[in-house]
Amino acid sequence: MRRFYVAGFLLLMAFDTLAQVSFKFAGTHALPVSASLAWLLRVFGQPWVYGAVIGYLGAFFTWMSLLKHAPIGPAFAASHLEVVSVMLLSVWLFHEPLSLSRVLGAVAIVAGIVCLGLAESDSAPGVPATGRIAGPR
Amino acid sequence: MPPPILALWLANVLVDTTGQLAFKAAAGAPEAGDGLARWRHMASRPWLWLGVGCYVVEFLLWIAFLSLVPLSKGVLLGSINIVAIMLAGRWLFGEKLTRLRVAGILLVSLGVAIVGAGG
Repeated sequence: MRRFYVAGFLLLMAFDTLAQVSFKFAGTHALPVSASLAWLLRVFGQPWVYGAVIGYLGAFFTWMSLLKHAPIGPAFAASHLEVVSVMLLSVWLFHEPLSLSRVLGAVAIVAGIVCLGLAESDSAPGVPATGRIAGPR
Repeated sequence: MPPPILALWLANVLVDTTGQLAFKAAAGAPEAGDGLARWRHMASRPWLWLGVGCYVVEFLLWIAFLSLVPLSKGVLLGSINIVAIMLAGRWLFGEKLTRLRVAGILLVSLGVAIVGAGG
């Protein structure tokens, strides 16, 4: 069960991150923004928008697989690991500044997820760890 | 807080919570089985679609909300969803709220709020 959760939440984070980074790239590659067919063609005419679609679909199937066993309250909180990964990648990919409050927020999120992880290993539910991670094949 | 912003905020909390509970109801059904059969079972019942419907409504609510408040404030106010879903999970699914779980969930909410507050 522990491996199911660790692998599942890391996969969820990867798909969520792929989606957000792809959205940003898709948007900037399609500038200038306008309510026009030309803008839509620019958005769908380059690969990034499909990264966003794959990210969304992957995250959906991963989330539904995780929820087979994971309690919704702690799982929804843990899904916010994405905030941290997107923040760190944005520094590298988009040269966005890393302010003190952002770092503090990220530290609190990671600390919270560590607590949630410890809470799960404490309660150790007796369910076999055979769940599928990525949905149907 | 001006009434339209408050209304959109509360609607967002309500719809997000409803959607996540519906996803849990769909995914957690023990009789659904495994693999492809499980997905077929989920697709043939209303919970999954209620969740997807909430996603669509939430998408529009969030865009409307963000047109009235800055993104940073939106993220800050949105962190309350995490607490709402924790309480709803306890109420509807009897999820145990151990001290460590509550601490973890509150720390994540606080972290999201701090990221939002900083802008």
